[in-house]
Amino acid sequence: MVEPSFSLSELNRQVKNVIRNALPEPCWLRAETSDVRVNQNGHCYLEFVEKDEAGHSIIAKARGMIWSSTYRMLSPFFEQETGQRFASGLSVLVRVTVDFHELYGFSLTVVDIDPSFTLGEIARNRQRVLRQLEEDGVLSLNKELGLPELANRIAVISSPSAAGYEDFRNQLENNPGGFIFYTKLFPAVMQGERSEESIIAALEKIFLYREWFHAVAIIRGGGAASDLSCFDSYNLAYNVAQFPLPVLSGIGHERDMTVLDIVAHTRGKTPTAVAEIFIAHLAKTAMELNELQERLASQIELLLFEEKSNLLSLSNRLVHHSSLFLQKEVASVQKIAAEIRYRFQQAFQKEVVGLQETMITLRHLIRRLLNEESNRMIQYIRNLRQSLLKGFQEECHFVENMEQFVRMVSPVNILKRGYTLTLKGGKIITSSKGLHKDEVIETRFRDGDVISLVQYYKNKSLNNGEN
Amino acid sequence: MAKISYSEAKKELKAIVKSIEDGEMDVDLLTAKVKRASELLALCKEKLKTTDEELQKILEDMA
Repeated sequence: MVEPSFSLSELNRQVKNVIRNALPEPCWLRAETSDVRVNQNGHCYLEFVEKDEAGHSIIAKARGMIWSSTYRMLSPFFEQETGQRFASGLSVLVRVTVDFHELYGFSLTVVDIDPSFTLGEIARNRQRVLRQLEEDGVLSLNKELGLPELANRIAVISSPSAAGYEDFRNQLENNPGGFIFYTKLFPAVMQGERSEESIIAALEKIFLYREWFHAVAIIRGGGAASDLSCFDSYNLAYNVAQFPLPVLSGIGHERDMTVLDIVAHTRGKTPTAVAEIFIAHLAKTAMELNELQERLASQIELLLFEEKSNLLSLSNRLVHHSSLFLQKEVASVQKIAAEIRYRFQQAFQKEVVGLQETMITLRHLIRRLLNEESNRMIQYIRNLRQSLLKGFQEECHFVENMEQFVRMVSPVNILKRGYTLTLKGGKIITSSKGLHKDEVIETRFRDGDVISLVQYYKNKSLNNGEN
Repeated sequence: MAKISYSEAKKELKAIVKSIEDGEMDVDLLTAKVKRASELLALCKEKLKTTDEELQKILEDMA
């Protein structure tokens, strides 16, 4: 009872026939690409996968391939339509033939592709991420940051070897304004599955040095379309949106905006464009500075000119008014002087007249006084003459009387009348005292002298001291 | 002066220019203000156009 059996090739051939009979025509397949690679003959090998709703576990998987002749046409078409290189991680709608090969097994051979499906998927994914970011309240956080006026310290996230990074640096260094830029590279993988994680790690590093930077530039070389899926990542966008420094994106994608571009502070299409944004920003502030300088200069000039003309006008007015004032003063002084002279003359004349009158009066008075005085003198002289005459006559009488008296009292007359004079030692004596006995005395008579010797001495009353 | 940031310097500069333009500036103060403005201008221009070697070194030394 041996059951009939197949050799493997017989079985595989059987399966192949069943499949070919069941699916004789190519059919459209929705799936996600994975593990996409192109070999040296130009044939493209990949895996098609389908994930569960949550996107975590793979629930179906099939090998796929694209012949080089097909791939040479499909790949540029896909890139052109989607701006996205045909790579892993894409949701695609492809037309496939279902093959089973005795030796190589089950395989899907791609004969056509519908890029609009991928575009739609990308767009839907972006919308979903953006909606989530908005719900989380972070979507516009980075845009709300101000780019400082002086934004010249730039933390750069790029692949160190990328041409775009060199373009960025050259552009900054050779800026026509001669502005100084400081760039610091924080290397990251910018391509493939690891890029999201790598860029976030670079951001975390920059965060530690955030005080030293004004902005972050996430750049990637341009060129052919590339794998952009990491820039639509929720995690990256979430990190960028909340980053404390403005983030500028330049990921070399001309066609459409990735989520990163949307949450970034500013989006440049290419690294060079980002450099230009920085340069223009500094040029603007430098221009404002120049404008301020010019305004300052012209204002100072204007102000000084105004002040000078004000001063000039003041000084002119001063000169004018002071000369007017002086003229007025001179006129007033002249007037006063004339008045004084007039009054003085008047007063002088009055004084002269007064003096003349006084003189006349005085002259009259003097003349009268002189007359009176001269009359008085004449009278006086007359009186004097009369008194003198009278006095003289009286004096004459007196003299005559005196003569008579003298004659009467002269010693001769007295001697005639019997009186004598007694002398001792030639001197007249009138007292008996002092006469001693035997002393010689002389007695004068009218007609001669007698010399006597004192005999005795008889004291009598005073009247008859002598004999 | 060394501590002032570019934005602060420019803000102060704007204020000075405005006060002169508004005619609020006393002539006696003008000299001092113009001197200050020149310093601020020089500072801003230096920050724009002169390499800060010290800063450059700090950035290069970052791990």
